Amino acid sequence: MAGTRPADVHPPYLYPDYNSTRLRAPAQPLVRVAPSPLEAAGPAFPKAFVKESEADLTTWGTSAPLGEKMVLVGRVLDEGGRPVRRSLVEVWQANASGRYPHPVDNHDAPLDPNFLGKGQVLTDDEGRYRVVTVKPGAYPWQNHAFAWRPAHIHLSLFGNAYAQRLITQMFFPGDPLLAIDPIFQSVPEAGRRLLIADLDLEHGVEGVALGYRFDIVLRGPGATPMGV
Amino acid sequence: MTNPTPSQTVGPFFARELIWSDGGTVLFPGQGERITLKGRVVDGAGAPVVDALFETWQADASGKLPSGGEGDRPYGYGRVSTDADGGYAIETVVPGAFKSQGGETYAPQISVTIFARGLLKAVQTRVFLAPLEAIKDDPLARAIGDPERIRTLIATRDPANPRLYRWDVRLRGAGEAVFIEI
Repeated sequence: MAGTRPADVHPPYLYPDYNSTRLRAPAQPLVRVAPSPLEAAGPAFPKAFVKESEADLTTWGTSAPLGEKMVLVGRVLDEGGRPVRRSLVEVWQANASGRYPHPVDNHDAPLDPNFLGKGQVLTDDEGRYRVVTVKPGAYPWQNHAFAWRPAHIHLSLFGNAYAQRLITQMFFPGDPLLAIDPIFQSVPEAGRRLLIADLDLEHGVEGVALGYRFDIVLRGPGATPMGV
Repeated sequence: MTNPTPSQTVGPFFARELIWSDGGTVLFPGQGERITLKGRVVDGAGAPVVDALFETWQADASGKLPSGGEGDRPYGYGRVSTDADGGYAIETVVPGAFKSQGGETYAPQISVTIFARGLLKAVQTRVFLAPLEAIKDDPLARAIGDPERIRTLIATRDPANPRLYRWDVRLRGAGEAVFIEI
């Protein structure tokens, strides 16, 4: 089915500008096989897995977190444009200062006691999701001199089949740091636009939060001979 | 057809966000002898990969594909992070063999996805809980062909503890595990 697949927009494993790939990227070519019946199915997350409150990252603490409040909306679709329904979307991110509450994050920026940066939501019957958060800050990292990650939100998607599993990052429009970020630049040019959210004011909250839209496309029925 | 959204690395900062309590204990509706699959993930220099997200998906002991879940957890799915030694451990059952609609038999196996800093996209593979001679007809074993490479996907039963299966994953270099595109 290789001939019917869309352009490969995924990054390569080995992208030397991103130092960590040099020792972790597999050197052997992947072995292509059809998804097994197991992989054409996927885990079913019970409704109880997700609490409604987990879609709002700004209400975790005793008061509002610092930063620019934002609403992130989007649809999860397959390559044929069909909604991916009732599938798990996990999000995590740095706080507005660019700091994660993680023991190995030693960036000298303040933690925010009112922001954990973690949320999850199930898509609805139209494949839609909605998350309320604050815009994450950029932060420096050790990859090269003056390296800074552009502001980004991590997203983890299960789709409706194991073969659709995806972890990615969403970036913000007009960010000058995109040009110097090897993680973003590792994506072939045709795919980069797909990682940048659109400003979507109408899905924000008037006077309160900016809206952004980020649609996500997972592999679909056309991608495999199994009809995943 | 629309292009899929490109993959990006999970990065180093996910431990508090993506790890489930008891994610290393895989649930099933039925019975089955509980075993532990454990090992280490190492990089091209043989150094431990201390910040990988290791996920497993498998059939139950009779080879039935999981559906549904229990409480707030889906059946059949395991999720842990590697530790300071690159180690992971999944407590589960030995999956039964299963068949595709086309009649192909899949040997007892667990589908594995590994995410990590430095992996711009996940690596996926299947680990076999059966010896080489028992998996020769499996579709992936046939696609690989070379027994030496197939062996990188075989979990070996600990002779001193039949409830323990060991499987180390080398991401790159000598003994590199076979990774698949499904």
